[in-house]
Amino acid sequence: MTDIANATPAPALRLPRMPWYVAFGMGWIIFVLAVALLADVITPYVFTAMDLKYRLVPPFQTWAHPLGTDELGRDVLSRLIVSIRISLLIAFGATVISAVLGTTLGFLAAHFRGIVEQAVLMLADFQAALPFLILALSVLAFFGNSLPLLIGLMGLYGWERYARIARGLAISASAQGYATAITQLGATPQRVYLRHILPNIASTLIVSMTLIFPEVILLESGLSFLGLGVQPPMTSLGNMVGYGREYITRAAWIMLCPATVIVLTTLAVSLVGDWLRDRLDPTLG
Amino acid sequence: MSALLDLHDIARSYVTRKGLFGQRKLVRAVDGISLTVNPGETLGIVGESGSGKSTLGRMALGLETPDEGHVTFDGAPMPSHGTPAWRALRRQMQMVFQDPLGALDRRLPVIEQIIEPLIIHGIDGDHRRAGLTALSAVGLSADHGLRYPHELSGGQRQRVVIARALITDPRLLVCDEPVSALDVSIQAQVVNLLIDLQAARGLGMVFISHDLRVVRQIAARVAVMYLGRVVEEAAATDLFRAPQHPYTRALVSAAPSPGPRRIERVILTGEPPNPAARPTGCAFHPRCPVALPRCRTEAPALSRIAPGHAAACHLLSPAAKVAAR
Amino acid sequence: MIRFILTRLLRAFVTIVLVVTFAFVVLRLSGDPATIILGPEAPPEAIAAFRASWGLDQPVMVQYVQYFAAIFQGDLGMSMRDGRPAFDLVMERIPATLALTIPALFLKLALGVPAGVYAALHQGTAFDRTVMVAAVMGFAVPSFVLALGLVLVFAVNLGWLPSGGRDTVWHAILPIITLGLGGAAALARFTRSAMLEVLGQPYIRTASSKGLAWAVVVRSHALPNAAIPTVTLIGFLVGSLIAGAIVVESVFSWPGVGRLMVVAVANRDLAVVQCILLLVATTMVTSNLIVDFLYGALDPRLRHGARAAA
Repeated sequence: MTDIANATPAPALRLPRMPWYVAFGMGWIIFVLAVALLADVITPYVFTAMDLKYRLVPPFQTWAHPLGTDELGRDVLSRLIVSIRISLLIAFGATVISAVLGTTLGFLAAHFRGIVEQAVLMLADFQAALPFLILALSVLAFFGNSLPLLIGLMGLYGWERYARIARGLAISASAQGYATAITQLGATPQRVYLRHILPNIASTLIVSMTLIFPEVILLESGLSFLGLGVQPPMTSLGNMVGYGREYITRAAWIMLCPATVIVLTTLAVSLVGDWLRDRLDPTLG
Repeated sequence: MSALLDLHDIARSYVTRKGLFGQRKLVRAVDGISLTVNPGETLGIVGESGSGKSTLGRMALGLETPDEGHVTFDGAPMPSHGTPAWRALRRQMQMVFQDPLGALDRRLPVIEQIIEPLIIHGIDGDHRRAGLTALSAVGLSADHGLRYPHELSGGQRQRVVIARALITDPRLLVCDEPVSALDVSIQAQVVNLLIDLQAARGLGMVFISHDLRVVRQIAARVAVMYLGRVVEEAAATDLFRAPQHPYTRALVSAAPSPGPRRIERVILTGEPPNPAARPTGCAFHPRCPVALPRCRTEAPALSRIAPGHAAACHLLSPAAKVAAR
Repeated sequence: MIRFILTRLLRAFVTIVLVVTFAFVVLRLSGDPATIILGPEAPPEAIAAFRASWGLDQPVMVQYVQYFAAIFQGDLGMSMRDGRPAFDLVMERIPATLALTIPALFLKLALGVPAGVYAALHQGTAFDRTVMVAAVMGFAVPSFVLALGLVLVFAVNLGWLPSGGRDTVWHAILPIITLGLGGAAALARFTRSAMLEVLGQPYIRTASSKGLAWAVVVRSHALPNAAIPTVTLIGFLVGSLIAGAIVVESVFSWPGVGRLMVVAVANRDLAVVQCILLLVATTMVTSNLIVDFLYGALDPRLRHGARAAA
């Protein structure tokens, strides 16, 4: 018995060995996060500022505009930095909303069972049966457009996956006994779910978030590209690509810069997410 | 002396159903049981799996509500499950589970789990000290408290569960197969610990087990269950010395006991009991070596056959004895 | 089996009802439909007439029932842009969309399934790794970026193909390739993992240890079993034939349903949006139904109601 006592607990934070592409993914994520957080400090110009002397300057021509300028003489680098911030803001906001919403509904389904559970599952089926883009477009058509609405709308994306996971794990947690045991101690359901079940399933939920996050980025950039997402004068990555598309023959860089950022970011997050899933939770699809 | 826990004629049925549109079937897991537990007394409940003993334990704690009959604790009716009154009452009544690893949260050091009832019930004081006292009361060190459940042995985990159950000084402890998942060598230690704690604190205890040996060690009174009903209830010494019901006789004769064997070995034949296909009449009759034709049609009531000794068997009822004479 | 079919039909029906309810609720929540559809400057008489003809003066529940009745009679309202029935407008555009999405579907199948099977059978080889990299890239590159990339190379720089419109067969090539490549990557990855899962099963090892030639094992045991999950994905792809082309049609100015949807949303042409929403939902639900029945045919275990309870 005493030999167990001497066993040292595993160090909490030891960076595990990761393949080079995961390291790249991590690096890129940290980089774009830093860019998004420091956007106000590092943008060389105000992103809407026009400089009509320098219109359609190609990249790497002048130090004044390292990534060139667009048709109105606006600095592509500044616009790109602000776009990264807006796109990440929407994607983060939406992912958090969707995770909270889905987990809550999943817990409610697991706690009340019966009709509540059937209703949640039916809504989840409904959500999964329709392409989200169509739903999103319909809502935008009916309600018009604004940044909070857009975040809220994107926040409906993927909730059904969190709900299914949270419901399944909460039910099995109850069956395992610790949830029953803590209920028997006199704990309120909120305490059982938030203090005990949630930390136990958090790693699975976080992995799901990293898998859904890139899809949200793609969705937002798709909508903004179509001109139905973020509205000018505000800008986002998809928005910039949509604008740059008009100048594809003369100034392809306007479109290529944000397109590259979109691809690298979704690639990085999904590489890291896949890797995390394989390490933490091989049961996820 | 008024009873701490009183179960009055309680019954509980479950609906089983095959498939989405399958036929519904009512299974009576517990079928009209009356039992009492006095303060400081240990009641043993013995039965095979499927006898309804765990359901009985859950109803005793109010984790399930009986369909019929009622449960009173300390003279007051049991509040319904999940209500604030029910939750507050948990301070008075606690449970020890069969699977201690399942009953603990894998992600918290055990000392935090031991003091959790104090936080839940808003009990002031030095929680850490209370936790350390509770640890030492169950024979664990402060160092054990800092570990996670998976870093402890099965017996140590069960000690943690017991420490957690006792930290609010409850008056009733329900133990559902508390040692059957442990190694035999550890079982005796945990049972002795429970005996000591029960004596030191004057706990009322319900001890549910399929293992007569363990029940014999700990219980003052024993009730034997078969397919949802009590077939015999007596003081432990009487029951093990002179079991009356044919089922109890079979169980006692099959259990290893110290000293020379007093009763002849009775071997149970036939199917093990299945609550979904309950036989007519006396549920035990298909396996009973001494069944009468009457047993097939008529269920015997639990009746007093000696002071403090009751059994449910046509052969033991006063009328049968008169007829035999 | 009958119960299985009935359960599925019921679910499909519930989904359609939910979609119609969704459209109804969103339409009501978005404000006064009369001012939205007629515009804020519409004369009051016109608004009153509109309200009467749409039954907007009735209680909400009555409106809800009437809404259902109208939709099931095929009355999906008039487009506010050119005053024609929305249903006709949408139907006119369907052939153009199918002209892109059906060839694209075949392209996906022709590239994705063989690549996935081959990669699974030769796990760890350079080909397998290429398929995996392509699959990850196929996910990370959104269709509009792929489309613009193709335009940049083949239309702008090389000048081989037109970049937009629907005048000749050549105009369809870039959109079809865009749609096909993106889907093929996902399909290859999915087929590969389905196939790998089947190949790891004990019965495959049993079959090959019985001395059956590996090719026979693959053909008669592995492929049919790996087909089951793959059919689900293909069903989803068929179901999204109409919705899948929204972005690509917009990039290539292709006059299909997807582009109609985008224009309708931009103009808040609600009748058209609602009509496309219902059309897409119906296609999805129908193809899901067909997949479920195919499932039943492919997997005998499911015929006996095992899935009905799930």
